[in-house]
Amino acid sequence: MLDWSFIERYAPFFVNGAWMTLFISVFGIALAIITGGICAAIQTARIPVLRQIVAVYIEISRNTPLLVQLYFLYFGLPKLGFVWSAEMCAIIGLGFLGGSYMAESMRAGLQAVPQIQRENAYMLGFSRMQTLVHVVIPQAISVSTPGFVANVIFLIKESSVVSAIALADVMYMAKDLMGITYNTYESLFMLIVTYLIILLPISILGTWLERRFDYARR
Amino acid sequence: MTETTEHTRRDEAIALKVTDLKKHYADADTNVFDGISFEVPKGKVLVIVGPSGSGKSTLLRTIAGLEPIQGGTIALDGRVIETGRPGNEKSGRVKRSEELRTKFGMVFQSYDLFPNKDVLGNITMAPLLVQKRKKDEVEREALELLERVHLADRAHAKPHELSGGQRQRVAICRALILHPEILLLDEITAALDPEMVHEVLEVVVELADAGQTMLIVTHEMSFARAIADRVILLADGRIEERSSDAEEFFTHPKTERAREFLHSFDFVRHRSQQAEQDLEAFDAS
Amino acid sequence: MQGANILLEPGVFPRLLQGLWVTIWIAAVSVAMSVPVGLVCGWLMTLRNPVIRFIMRVYLDFIRIMPQLALLFIAYYGIARAWNWNLDATGACVLVFVLWGGAELGDLTRGALQSIPEVQHETAYMLGLSNWQAFIHVILPQAVRRLLPGSVNLATRIVKTTSLAVLLGVVEVIKVGQQIIDANRFQYPTGTLWVYGVIFLMYFIVCWPLSLVAHALEKRWANDRND
Repeated sequence: MLDWSFIERYAPFFVNGAWMTLFISVFGIALAIITGGICAAIQTARIPVLRQIVAVYIEISRNTPLLVQLYFLYFGLPKLGFVWSAEMCAIIGLGFLGGSYMAESMRAGLQAVPQIQRENAYMLGFSRMQTLVHVVIPQAISVSTPGFVANVIFLIKESSVVSAIALADVMYMAKDLMGITYNTYESLFMLIVTYLIILLPISILGTWLERRFDYARR
Repeated sequence: MTETTEHTRRDEAIALKVTDLKKHYADADTNVFDGISFEVPKGKVLVIVGPSGSGKSTLLRTIAGLEPIQGGTIALDGRVIETGRPGNEKSGRVKRSEELRTKFGMVFQSYDLFPNKDVLGNITMAPLLVQKRKKDEVEREALELLERVHLADRAHAKPHELSGGQRQRVAICRALILHPEILLLDEITAALDPEMVHEVLEVVVELADAGQTMLIVTHEMSFARAIADRVILLADGRIEERSSDAEEFFTHPKTERAREFLHSFDFVRHRSQQAEQDLEAFDAS
Repeated sequence: MQGANILLEPGVFPRLLQGLWVTIWIAAVSVAMSVPVGLVCGWLMTLRNPVIRFIMRVYLDFIRIMPQLALLFIAYYGIARAWNWNLDATGACVLVFVLWGGAELGDLTRGALQSIPEVQHETAYMLGLSNWQAFIHVILPQAVRRLLPGSVNLATRIVKTTSLAVLLGVVEVIKVGQQIIDANRFQYPTGTLWVYGVIFLMYFIVCWPLSLVAHALEKRWANDRND
């Protein structure tokens, strides 16, 4: 039914595509975590002006599609003099979008820690930093992990959009191959398999991570 | 405010002295309390009782530094550690040094432990991080404390594996290992299932016998009666009656307010006594 | 800046709005058709038959794991060809969104139905209500409340995902924008910035009210739950 020789011959393309997908995803997610962490910290600490700016940022990034953000960065910004490589635009775009999702799930985690835990830490003589590091953050992580995992998977999927600005990720390879050859089914088959190979292990890892940090279950 | 048989020996060391304490909330007109004064001598137990909403817990929290006071002073071991200042209603927890905070040991009503650590970890965390003591010494003492509360075998259990009463006993150890000058207990059995109240209060009675200075807020009257060296009835933000003879206070209260308050507990006992008599009469027939 | 004037050229704004209308149309139709699909899926997911539950599980997991863009490609280039459907790009989009939206909605429905405490069913039983009456008057109202915020949130996501339609060639707002940019390339070299900026804003104007509604619904009904 499927032409396996074709698949064998062109599999390396998809492997390369997978590397590109992972490359963009890893850096994009890292940027998202950093951005999200800063935003969550600002919101929890209630810093006056910055807090509103963060709120606006979150609303904007959650209500606009990644594709438009990428086009804006890649085609629009050069007109202002900022010429960035496609990889750079992709990472920034992914980080910008992901940052708001990460911020939300981190903030939810921080706020879920009951006030009484901080009071206990106070009575036990912990400094503010010690309270944060030893009491608040461990418990916040416990609450945030499911959302964090969902965000990581979401961002890896969103990375498929970077094919639109000609980055040679998995999606781009499939599109390219289908354009050049007539083996549509084989190309789509490899497309599906490659994404499954990338995302299924991460999903399983994520479930393990959720269980690891669920203090009430272990 | 009436005083019943006040025995204050001037040479008795005073652990905690509270003078003219005033507190109100920023957006409220009434005061939570207005001019409270009392002393807790070293090695003695002072119990605060009173109807709900009388400000008992808030009083304890202000002494602990969790909420600010707007007037009066708090003195620990002879030294004034805090002076109330009007206008600080919104300032949150009071800035106190780590050393000062560890001089107070506090056990809350909600028996929340740190979920990410086991029992031993919960107890040893503060002495290691804050008092910078040696690990073996701290662990040894933690196990001794656990032994005293009959939980030595659960040293490596996680909080969610323990019952409320067990968690509360661990919380007591966690406070004690810092060697506080005074232990503050805020309705520590109010949130527990009835069958677990006894095991926790038993531990507190043992601590009192061993000479731990304590300031306790509770509504367990028989416990209060058994353990108190001094009693204060707090109602509507004022001390309605104080006594340094607990037995006298519970059996022969001097003020109307105190009588009213204690009567509400008597009523239940009276009914069940009546029921017992009825049952005996029925059995006999 | 002079480049902004590209937006004032005759025909530009109306065309952009037309493109936006295509976007909204695709999203609206997809959402509307997702509802029956979603309800059926949700019902199927609560059935006790393990085979059906397994099939639904695989279906949901597959749709969730694959990137939407990949699903669009599979639908447009693959499925339509395989089953000899004469599916145009817009049709492929709607198909994918309905399958995706239906699966997500089904899972939301399942979650909403299962989160209703057993005691509600028991109370209805004790009050003498028939199964059907219980469902209509007791279960459904509560399920809808738990369902709605997530559903509105899903609608917002569908609107954002319609942006991918441009990659299949559908003439929606982004495509129109690109056509405008190309047509005015010499006269307005910085047109790219402004056109994409406006498109950005348009998506925001459509999506943000939806997310506010979802947020408001969630807050309003969060206190109704006594679990």
